[in-house]
Amino acid sequence: MSDNMVKIIIDDVEYEVPAGMNVVDAAKWHASNDIPVFCYHPKMEPVGMCRMCLVEMGTLQRNPETGAVMTDEDGNPLVRWFPKLQTACTQVATDGMVFRTNTQAVVDARENVLEFLLTSHPLDCPICDKGGECPLQNLTMAHGPGESRMNFSDKMKLDKHVPLGDLIFLDEERCIQCGRCVRFQDELVGDDVLAFHERGRTLQIITNSDPGFDTYFSGNTTDICPVGALTTADFRFGARPWELTEVPSIDPHDAAGSNISLSVRLDRDFGGRAMIKRVMPRQNEYVNELWISDKARFGHHFTRSEDRLQKPVVDGKDSDWATAISTIAGLLEGADGDIAAIAGSGMSNEDLFALRSLVTANGGKRLGAWPTTHTGADLVAAVGVGVGTNLSDLGAGDAVLIVASDLEEEVPIWRLRLKGAHDRGAYVVVANARKTRMDDFASATPRYQAGKAAHWLDGIDKADPEVAKALKAAQNLVIVAGAEGLTLDGSRALMQSAANFLIDSGHYGKANNGLMSPLPGPNGMGLHYVGFTPEVTADIAQNPPKVLIVAQAEILSDDPYARAWLDKVETIISLNLFPDAVADMAAIALPIQSFAERDGTFTNGERRVQRFYTAQGPMGDALPAWQALSRISEHMGQGKAKASAAAVMVMMSNELPAFEGMRYRELSRTERQFPDISGDDMYYGGTAYQNKGGLGKVIPTTAEQGETPARADVSLPPVLEVGKGQFVVLPATRLYNLESTFRPSTLVHPRIMSPFVEVNAADAARLDINNGDVVEVKLPDVSVRVRASVNGGAPEGALVLPRHLTDDPTPMTVAVGEIAKV
Amino acid sequence: MANPLADKYADRIQKHMSKYPDKRSAVMPLLYIAQEEYGWLSPDAIVQVAEICEMDPTQVKSIAGFYTMYRESPKGKYWLQVCTDLPCALKGADQFHHDLLAHLGIEEGGTTDDGMFTVEHVMCLAACDRAPMLQCNFGYVENLDMDKMKELLDKWRKEAEAYANAD
Repeated sequence: MSDNMVKIIIDDVEYEVPAGMNVVDAAKWHASNDIPVFCYHPKMEPVGMCRMCLVEMGTLQRNPETGAVMTDEDGNPLVRWFPKLQTACTQVATDGMVFRTNTQAVVDARENVLEFLLTSHPLDCPICDKGGECPLQNLTMAHGPGESRMNFSDKMKLDKHVPLGDLIFLDEERCIQCGRCVRFQDELVGDDVLAFHERGRTLQIITNSDPGFDTYFSGNTTDICPVGALTTADFRFGARPWELTEVPSIDPHDAAGSNISLSVRLDRDFGGRAMIKRVMPRQNEYVNELWISDKARFGHHFTRSEDRLQKPVVDGKDSDWATAISTIAGLLEGADGDIAAIAGSGMSNEDLFALRSLVTANGGKRLGAWPTTHTGADLVAAVGVGVGTNLSDLGAGDAVLIVASDLEEEVPIWRLRLKGAHDRGAYVVVANARKTRMDDFASATPRYQAGKAAHWLDGIDKADPEVAKALKAAQNLVIVAGAEGLTLDGSRALMQSAANFLIDSGHYGKANNGLMSPLPGPNGMGLHYVGFTPEVTADIAQNPPKVLIVAQAEILSDDPYARAWLDKVETIISLNLFPDAVADMAAIALPIQSFAERDGTFTNGERRVQRFYTAQGPMGDALPAWQALSRISEHMGQGKAKASAAAVMVMMSNELPAFEGMRYRELSRTERQFPDISGDDMYYGGTAYQNKGGLGKVIPTTAEQGETPARADVSLPPVLEVGKGQFVVLPATRLYNLESTFRPSTLVHPRIMSPFVEVNAADAARLDINNGDVVEVKLPDVSVRVRASVNGGAPEGALVLPRHLTDDPTPMTVAVGEIAKV
Repeated sequence: MANPLADKYADRIQKHMSKYPDKRSAVMPLLYIAQEEYGWLSPDAIVQVAEICEMDPTQVKSIAGFYTMYRESPKGKYWLQVCTDLPCALKGADQFHHDLLAHLGIEEGGTTDDGMFTVEHVMCLAACDRAPMLQCNFGYVENLDMDKMKELLDKWRKEAEAYANAD
């Protein structure tokens, strides 16, 4: 907010507000005066369409010579009133503005606007999903006419079930044409697939795109819709808002760590247990503002999937915890310390700590992180974005470099927020071997050869001197470095190059500067802080241990080459939500709870440790992983099992410096956030929920703790040798895929691409491959049959092969392969 | 994807495009070209215009829907818009409109079976002094009565026939 404050008078009281602040916002934030709105949304440009925010407005009369405010005989300031009411949302605060929001004229205006909106609004509140949390309902109660003068037979009869896409339905009768959804798509998302059609009384929201309303953010429009016109396929007719309990949680799908609210109720469909009925965004202006991706919103079904592992399995037979624990204790004792663990990023910080404790107490040293695609979390810990970073602060004069990442598919919320940075004037560079969606919101899009991201960034001064210069000159610089098209060594080299760049230009150790990485899963940084690294996983693969604990890492579903070395492990102990292929190989498979059934913390890509709370009833005998693991420890006489996740965190905060001061009470602190969506005025911010579960706490970078980050030499990975007729095969991430935590969300299945490989047009022409042909992609020891897609998405000499679109794993990292028409 | 409009009207499209800094600014004249070609703005025509202007088809559809002179449903070759606002009505436009519909045997907004005429009533066309009047496609025909109208209808039928035979 601006430092330049001005004085405005609202209802005879003077307030100091920042110059240029929107008057609706100013009245709410500074004067606690809720001017009602429908079309205005604090995150979007005002349009003044709904006329609900009409107020009396005037300016103080000043003596033209002295500039002093003129007063009447009683000493009250003289005000030059505008002859008509003004829309508060289209006014910005300037010195000497006077508003009245409670006069008869304003009261009448509000009543009349509501009466007008209600002329053709259906009276189906009793069956409307929004009923109970509906801005139109609430404002009608507060400001509307008591009874209707309208003739009901004149009401318009329109289509009430228009599918705008697979996930969002429009009820044309309920729509009041505020245009929030249209503007959200246009201004914030940059996919203008919604628009008004016709005008006047026949105006409607339409989509004429193919596919229709199908962006990764479509669900947010249902939150900001001030009526029940837009509803999700997931929740419509699912429950009434007043039956739901809101449980604060964290999106378990990506590194953004979006704050979500799980709406639960005791449900017949789930045996009377607490069931997630819908997922709503929870305000955290540092993380996800008021938005969540559709994957976060619609990807909750896995928590109650029938396929979940429900009982401990010992030697292929259903068993119980006592047997499983004593068997595991025996196995660990017999391992002579040759124990290792590989953990996935679905594990909470507490789970990881319990796993670490168990392994190290029994003589094991090796803690591996899964997947082995991204590394460099240690560099994020050293020169990551500083405490207080808010991507919404990035604007003119600042720069962002996104390299080797398809951000739309990997961390959609970051893509949404960085698009905003671009709109505000930031210099956004998207460097990749291929075209990605983020290119549409970039100031520059340098291309490097497939597989050579690290080479490019290391030599950026020569390759793209102008880009390098602009990045260095920026006031603030954030680098988002992924691992697309790289091996693990390549990822290390890229991350080191990025760190070096930041160190050289001094963009580290402070807010809005530093390194971020779209590490897979919700807790990639947690893995690092508790001591799990992908390099160790590579070492485990080279030298398999006697006993390997695999926790929430679906190694065989991810990696086609893993079976070879997993076979060499004598005993596998598996902890997972689902009975996957690793669990099949395991001597013991333990059922653990998903994020929804227990509490814990995740550390997001910006190193923010955030709490999630118990929402859903348990599945079978599953336990939280930390509990299962610490009960094993207890059984082996290595300390008493902890009673709660909070107690594990207390122990962690004592033992691991990174988690110092991260006790649950600290993590659940909140503060007043702008825009203030608290209270019952959902008309202002939509049904995104006020944050009552905590904003979390950021682990400071080592640079901020006084350690000077060391520049290190980059060891560039060898250039891939591509023979004649061969291609560089780039594995790509698709947001909607068949991973076990998303597959059960069947309503999104129509949106999951069928397996394909993207081929460059020139290569396709040479090989006589047409769009849609079935082709075979041959890689070392693996071959997959997929459809060819020739749509400009692949650079010449490269194939883009998305992962997790079939049950057959495809390579996780860049490889060399061939393609042939079948 | 094939884009017949872009091929057939390349010169005219280029001429319109050259007037604006952005391609999308030329969307309205291009919609008229499409309407000329197909007689109405079919879903396919909308997609073609969207492609040429590099816009989302939703936005093009929205523009076509907002303005009344774009046809979003097939209409007759001759689209007769009769003004029936107050000054015209005082000079008998209502009756004229009624008679015209009866003569052609269609309802308000309907099209004759041979696909030749569509009749609609519209708001003021700013030719009150020459009422009754109508707008045929985009040209004004003024000072009408039913006798004159019948002659015109015959004339237009013949014109259309001649045009069809010339092809």
